[in-house]
Amino acid sequence: MSVAPLTEEQRDAMQEITNIAMGQAGSMLATLLGTFVNLSVPRINVLALSEVAGAIGSMVGRNIEITAVRQSFHGYLRGEAIVIYGRDGCKELGDLMGYDEVLDRADEIELLLDVSNILVGACLGGINDQIKGITEAQGAGELSFSAPSLMAEGVPAEVLIDPDKLTWTHALLLEVNFTLEGRDFISHLCMLMPEHSIEKVRNILDEFIASL
Amino acid sequence: MRLYEPAVFTLSESTQNIHLPDFITKWVDVGIFVVNREMNITLWNNFMANHSGHSADTVIGKNLFECFPELPKAWLGKKIQSVFILKNLAFTSWEQRPYLFRFPHNRPITGGVDFMYQNCTFMPVKNGTGEVESVCITLFDVTDMGIFQTELRSAMERLSESSNRDGLTGIYNRRYLEQRLATEFDRSKRYGGHFSFMLFDLDHFKKVNDTCGHLAGDAVLCAISQRINSLLRTVDVLGRYGGEEFGVILPSVNLEGAIVVAEKLKQIVAQTPVIFKETAIPITVSIGVTEFKAETPNYEHLIHCADIALYFGKENGRNRVTCYTDELES
Repeated sequence: MSVAPLTEEQRDAMQEITNIAMGQAGSMLATLLGTFVNLSVPRINVLALSEVAGAIGSMVGRNIEITAVRQSFHGYLRGEAIVIYGRDGCKELGDLMGYDEVLDRADEIELLLDVSNILVGACLGGINDQIKGITEAQGAGELSFSAPSLMAEGVPAEVLIDPDKLTWTHALLLEVNFTLEGRDFISHLCMLMPEHSIEKVRNILDEFIASL
Repeated sequence: MRLYEPAVFTLSESTQNIHLPDFITKWVDVGIFVVNREMNITLWNNFMANHSGHSADTVIGKNLFECFPELPKAWLGKKIQSVFILKNLAFTSWEQRPYLFRFPHNRPITGGVDFMYQNCTFMPVKNGTGEVESVCITLFDVTDMGIFQTELRSAMERLSESSNRDGLTGIYNRRYLEQRLATEFDRSKRYGGHFSFMLFDLDHFKKVNDTCGHLAGDAVLCAISQRINSLLRTVDVLGRYGGEEFGVILPSVNLEGAIVVAEKLKQIVAQTPVIFKETAIPITVSIGVTEFKAETPNYEHLIHCADIALYFGKENGRNRVTCYTDELES
């Protein structure tokens, strides 16, 4: 089965929706962490399963060992978010999240899960707030989230999504990068929605375009 | 601790009087409580009351951290604050943080854990205008899950440990030795650094088996393994390569250092005979030593080199340490 890419117009509309959402997410994160948060302009693509690993690799950098956390979201939109960190995870953010200076192993993982939950919640919550206003999605209400879990530690980014073990064919991939002012920290958020959600996103976008 | 009030279930006459959601919140076998922006408790269900020993009357309207000073305030405060600000769920898992509240659990005898393991979900409670007024926390008792998982993990560790061991001597087996050699090789190839590898063999071991019996042979293998293991550092890896042949990986040790170790090892074996049923069995070993070099093509090559050196030692009088050189190849 082949899935059409988003049209130019649909992609622009998605860009607009996510830009507003990310702006809000950024300011909420800044309030919470007490430091300025930079979010990149989101990149949006419909990708075949075989292309996803490559896309993640080129976003993060090849031959870099990464640590990743996954979390699922369900509501009008369904899918999974993957937050990717460098080798050191997010130890750098311990103080901002209310931890003492020395982190043990359990603290480190908990911190990873916490930070991931916050990034995913802020971004997807923001997107959901935007699309809630669009008639097509009305009645969709709030998104809910599973508890986040550790997906991989110290592996190359390309091996994160193994096409041989997965059953979907296409996904909508939305990528955002985060950096914090004055800190050596970067993370990448990938929101992946399978075929079924792509059609829903298309409907929302068409409606959004029609309403302009 | 399950507390049911069967009387409340006779719905026929009393449904008008009970509000079902209230009933469920109160009696469900899950902790549910709510705090407002000031961290004051506004709801406290029976599960929380029963396990904390604080009834709803005594905690409602009071500050959560004042009622429970054992809670990690900086961290938990931040967590609850994140729900207010981001209007988003938050979670805690027993796997990283076994408990928030020090609640007794229902396996005080058989559990082997100090407090009830807890998984918590923090949910934003929004008013009509979408502002978060308070945070509702659900707390699941996952003590049993935690205990099972911990048992499972330790069983898996024991299993993987025993699959790495040689059945007779208890030192590592050949599979594990090669696996570690491959790891050490990959690491040194990538990041540089020294390490050495040696193979040693008990001299005339067949004669021990033939004259003293196989039980004596086994006793010798065990005694020598123990003796050598006690000489090595904890980072060194001693494994039984096969029969009476053993291998040792010496991380961060160059050839010079490896020779010193090999000489000591030769000495500690030769200086004291192994005693088996009042018979003293003198034992000597021949040792082949080699070191990792940047140009070493693969880990198998190290085994080959150590083997060549060992063979040379055997041919040239035994009870000796031989270093590999290219000349030995012919």
